[in-house]
Amino acid sequence: MAEPEPQLLLAVGLIEKDTNGDALWVWCYPSVTAELRSLLLRKCCLTDENKLLHTFVFGQYKRSWFYITTVEVQDSPALKKVTHFSIVLMAKDFNPEKYAAFTRILCRIYLKHGSPVKMMESYIAVLTKGICQSEENGSFLSKDFDARKAYLAGSIKDIVSQFGMETVILYTALMLKKRIVVYHPRIEAIQEFTRTLPALVWHRQDWSILHSYVHLNEEEVEALKACTGYIAGFTDSEVNSRPDLYDVYVNLADSEITVSPLVKEAMTMGKLHKEIGQLIVQSAEDPEKSDSQVIKEISLKTKEILATLASLTEASDGNEKPTLNSEALKQKRFPPATENFLFHLAAAEQMLKI
Amino acid sequence: MEEVDRILIHSLRPAGTAVPPEVQSVRDLTPELVVEASVRCLRAVNPTLGAPLSPLLPPGISARFRLASDLAAACQELGFGGDVGYQTFLYSSEHDTRRLLLFLVEKLPRDESESGAEPPGKSGALLRAIGTRIREQLGVPWVPPLCRTPLLQRLQVSGAPPPEYVGRKRLRARLRALEPLRQACPPRPPGPPLDPAWLQEAFGAGGGRGALPKGSRFTHTQHLTHEQVRGWTWGAGGGGFGDTGARQASEEAALEQALAQLDAAIESCRGEMRDAQLSLTQVEAEVQQGRLALGGREDALRLKHQAIELLPDAQSNMAKLQLVVEASGRRIVSLAGQWERHRGPLLTQYRHLRALRDSAQLESSRRLSELRVLHERSRSAAAEAQRKEELYKTLVAELEALPRDVSRAIYTQRILEIVGNIRKQKEEISKILVDTRALQKEINSLVGKLERTFSVTDELLFKDAKRDEVVRKAYKYLAALHENCAQLIRTIEDTGTIQREIRDLEEQIEAETSSKPPASLERILSDCRALREENAALAARPRR
Repeated sequence: MAEPEPQLLLAVGLIEKDTNGDALWVWCYPSVTAELRSLLLRKCCLTDENKLLHTFVFGQYKRSWFYITTVEVQDSPALKKVTHFSIVLMAKDFNPEKYAAFTRILCRIYLKHGSPVKMMESYIAVLTKGICQSEENGSFLSKDFDARKAYLAGSIKDIVSQFGMETVILYTALMLKKRIVVYHPRIEAIQEFTRTLPALVWHRQDWSILHSYVHLNEEEVEALKACTGYIAGFTDSEVNSRPDLYDVYVNLADSEITVSPLVKEAMTMGKLHKEIGQLIVQSAEDPEKSDSQVIKEISLKTKEILATLASLTEASDGNEKPTLNSEALKQKRFPPATENFLFHLAAAEQMLKI
Repeated sequence: MEEVDRILIHSLRPAGTAVPPEVQSVRDLTPELVVEASVRCLRAVNPTLGAPLSPLLPPGISARFRLASDLAAACQELGFGGDVGYQTFLYSSEHDTRRLLLFLVEKLPRDESESGAEPPGKSGALLRAIGTRIREQLGVPWVPPLCRTPLLQRLQVSGAPPPEYVGRKRLRARLRALEPLRQACPPRPPGPPLDPAWLQEAFGAGGGRGALPKGSRFTHTQHLTHEQVRGWTWGAGGGGFGDTGARQASEEAALEQALAQLDAAIESCRGEMRDAQLSLTQVEAEVQQGRLALGGREDALRLKHQAIELLPDAQSNMAKLQLVVEASGRRIVSLAGQWERHRGPLLTQYRHLRALRDSAQLESSRRLSELRVLHERSRSAAAEAQRKEELYKTLVAELEALPRDVSRAIYTQRILEIVGNIRKQKEEISKILVDTRALQKEINSLVGKLERTFSVTDELLFKDAKRDEVVRKAYKYLAALHENCAQLIRTIEDTGTIQREIRDLEEQIEAETSSKPPASLERILSDCRALREENAALAARPRR
């Protein structure tokens, strides 16, 4: 990287659950707003009634990412009154592996010393130098964790094996920047599934559409609604009765995909979609191919479509961006479903003439 | 004994025997009263046994005997263990009569109100009140309403409504029925009261339309619309039928064309709308992106601006910056340490206080629940007290309702006295028994002593008897003495037995004398004479 790495870390926080059964926000650096604090308390599994321990969860809220690692304390001399604690990291980028590793190191430090000061040293070290020493062995190097690696970490083959031809619905929805809501009672399953979905539209490399852990909370829902297209994960089945939140509803537990009637017209499937669907399924079912290869093939097909679309554009009056010539699109005499799709895609890719 | 008799006679009265008040003991009971009392008790105890028996002693002697023997048989069947026969009733001895009547009174079923099995309290009192009321009403014969005295009217409220009310009701019903008929009929011509022709017309008015005119709102509206439609069609059709065909065709064509144009316009509008919608979303997305990019770029700009400022002396500035960064890092860590010195104890204190509060809360909730339990208990105790109070009140009321003449307390006291006397006597008897036993023991020991003394003496004398004549004589005397003494003792014992028998017999005699044998003998004799006379009369009858 020629460019120096920008400052990605935003904050670190500590939540403890004590012998009284309270989950308390006990420490942070630098300061965290009250709104964000309550959100993070909600996300960390310590305030849950069901007491299920999720060791690592992540998500996005208003364009900043949170990563929470939770540890159970077992007879640690440094933390006598604490039963569990969570380390919360806020960052600007999407990289679960990197921050999982970092929070694990911070957890070990805190478990050993029972004081946030040591944690603070490591945090400052990573912030200023991008490196810190682990308690046991080796060291954490921020550069080891490339963003590209994080994008490719999920398995697209798993998705295709679960949904088969229906994957093309997800593909179309993502291409057209629709709103996808994923439901599963287990947060781990949602996170694994949703983080892979943006890879279907690899040409955008945009993971900011991912909101993998959302509660049906007023603020969170408002923040979500402010985004144009997104992938949102919910563990609350109540989300099914919120049609204002989604265009495509994925019930991951039952492997069901529902398209909202409002977007039926925009998402009409035609020959082109069948073609893409077959390509995806064939590619994913090939045991020889790795996940990244599958993504590459899908991406190639996408580029093909975009090239078709680009051929129908013209650079208009001084604007640097080419815009779609709708007359030219009509003259091509595509099947209606394809024409419709291309038109909507043009809108999603911001190629419409205004 | 007279106490027992008084109780006995008192308990005969509720069973239905009218014992005159001057009769105070069983001795005063006449055979008629004895028979009546026995029959009534029998009926109360066992109706199937007592029903065929008459409580009145018949005048005929033989009939009297029959009744008395039947009564005796019934008593035995009921389980009377003593000796009972016709003589018990007709020639009663005081002792037998008392035994029999006591037996019968004991067998009497306990009266409900005295038994205490009935639940006390309000409902019990109410039930009893209802019972007395019903009994009272059942006791009064039914009387036609007109012949009732005011009291009876109050008792026997008739279910029929008053006649004036019935009349009013009937009039109203008749008017209601007449009203539609009157509306349907043509007005009646004045003249003779019932003209057959008019009648037919009147009934025809209803029958011709099948029913009286009663249109719903719906039929009414239907009627109106029909008329309107008809009028409109006529109005339209009024224009003439001449060249309509051609004109219609051209008009139709024009209209269709217009329609097609409008359709196309709508379609294009829809398309435009969709495009506009898409454009809107695109623009929104663009704006958002732009705004985000702006924020990022502003940051970048500020950073670059600062960098440019530092650029002239890059090397030293870099080093300086490095130093600044390191120093501030260290400072921050030390600050964190300082903060930790405050935060740690505060957090510990918070947790400690929280735990204290939790335990206090736990304690208080425990106390609260305890308090609640206590409260509950006090409430239940209050309810219990109230219930007892009520029970007490009803009992007092019951006590007051009980007849005053039966001074139960006195009876109880007397019974207790009697029981006390009996106990005293029992004690004396047991004392005497103890004495007797001691005596017996003494006798036994003396007998044993004698026996042993005799055998020793006997042995000693027998040894010497062979050698010495005097001793032999003495031995003989000894044997004789022993035998005589034994005989003497036996005689004494026999005397005792005989004396006991004599005492028994004397007692028996006394009993017999007390049961007025001369009086009953006389009565028997007179009855016997009457019987003979009856027999003679009966024997004479067939001869005649």
